[in-house]
Amino acid sequence: MSAQHHPVDDEQLSPEITRALTRVVRLEWLTIGTLAVTVTLVFLVLGNSQAMKTAWVEDLLSFIPPIAFLIGVRITRRPATAKHPFGHHRSVGMAHLVSATALLVMGTYLIVDSGSKLITAEHPSIGGIQLFGTTVWLGWLMIGVLVVTGIPPVILGRMKLKLATPLHNKVLFADADMNKADWMTSAAATAGVIGIGLGWWWADAVAAIVIAVSILRDGITNLRAAVAGLADARPTTVDNKKPHPLNADVDAFLRQLEWARVGAARVRDEGQVFQVEGFVVPRTPDVATPDRLDAARKQLLALDWKIRDVVLIPVNTLPRVLEAEEFEGHSH
Amino acid sequence: MHPRGDLFQGKYPGVANGTRAYSGAMRSPIGRLVALLVLALALGGCAGHYPADPHGTLERVTDGELRVGVSHSPPETDLGPNPPTGTEVDLVRQYAETVNAHVTWTPGGEEDLVKQLKNGHLDLVIGGLTEDSPWDTEVGITRGYAESTDEFGDTRKHVMAVRNGENAFLLDLEAFLAGHGGRS
Repeated sequence: MSAQHHPVDDEQLSPEITRALTRVVRLEWLTIGTLAVTVTLVFLVLGNSQAMKTAWVEDLLSFIPPIAFLIGVRITRRPATAKHPFGHHRSVGMAHLVSATALLVMGTYLIVDSGSKLITAEHPSIGGIQLFGTTVWLGWLMIGVLVVTGIPPVILGRMKLKLATPLHNKVLFADADMNKADWMTSAAATAGVIGIGLGWWWADAVAAIVIAVSILRDGITNLRAAVAGLADARPTTVDNKKPHPLNADVDAFLRQLEWARVGAARVRDEGQVFQVEGFVVPRTPDVATPDRLDAARKQLLALDWKIRDVVLIPVNTLPRVLEAEEFEGHSH
Repeated sequence: MHPRGDLFQGKYPGVANGTRAYSGAMRSPIGRLVALLVLALALGGCAGHYPADPHGTLERVTDGELRVGVSHSPPETDLGPNPPTGTEVDLVRQYAETVNAHVTWTPGGEEDLVKQLKNGHLDLVIGGLTEDSPWDTEVGITRGYAESTDEFGDTRKHVMAVRNGENAFLLDLEAFLAGHGGRS
């Protein structure tokens, strides 16, 4: 990957960020490769187990986030044009929404499917397979495949999670988080197969439901986050838990400008980067010169690589929403 | 005043290092439950047949009665004579010897026999069934034990049907068929 250029002001990305991006892209390709092997292996031993089928579908779904990430990152790199004056950063948010929707729909389908198998008391048949001249129960092979394929995603997930925070990419975070939890899918499917072996026909359907619920929960969490992002909610940390610290940093910066009486900003999360809309109340109307505004804008852009675009507006009073935040005791 | 790219140095405590995502807290109880279940199942697996039959078919037919449904499909099965004849009938007789079972034959149409198998009135159904059988979700189908070519030139993989989920019986029968198939 060549050096990353700032899509709006054409400034180069810091070496750390460029390096992190390169590493993540490589990790995502590695993930796709691993998944292709996993999906093939699991398909070969699929048999009649509902838990195996559900785990397999989850593996198939796991293709979406890395692909969405790779496409999203590629599109964000396109520079802003007259037709797309804000650049293409939102493509990450859209990719996030698409992955979340896929998870939600598939999770729901699998819960219904597995639930109906449980209710109709369907007994899964798993027979044998000829290996080296003897008949081996296919269940053993299933367990073997589940254990082997359950390990790599956990390692990849942890590696990606470390990079998701500095890159502030929610698709990457969602992907890493799903990978990290993948061993539980494998463990649940293994429990289902062992259950079948014990003659507990219901263990299979129950294991499948456990997996399906985890898929559905991933879907709901991510859908919420993706919709919040696209609806220009206040930026949060990648895990969607708290307001992103840059909100406060930007406000603090605007407030300390010596020519400003008070200042505050609305920040948009464009997927990987932020766009800042800053409001400043000058001490007297004449101090808000274009030079001062320009200088402040440049300093804000230099504050963090994630701030990709800044608009600074001198105003008589701050917008209501930003004042409200003051009353809430937004601390700095 | 703020150097660029400083997020890597953990400027925001608990954020740059915030790998403790929602998953960790929410999922670990389920994870522990699954792990416990795996352990319990592994320990429980030490007794009796593994895989086991939910309805105990293999244990019941051993030294007992093997109830076989037969639909007419020569040369695998022929309901002309009584008791029936055919290659599959012979295979079932040989299998019955390995578990010391005596066979009772129930002639009938395929659909009716499948229904009886589903409801536990039969243990095994034969009659020229193949891997492409439409019943494969209703009953347990063995691996193809032999191949033949039909009059349309398609390859047919011959199978037998057991009650769904009777995996010990299924596996035992498959192990027998693997050593006695090979007819083409």
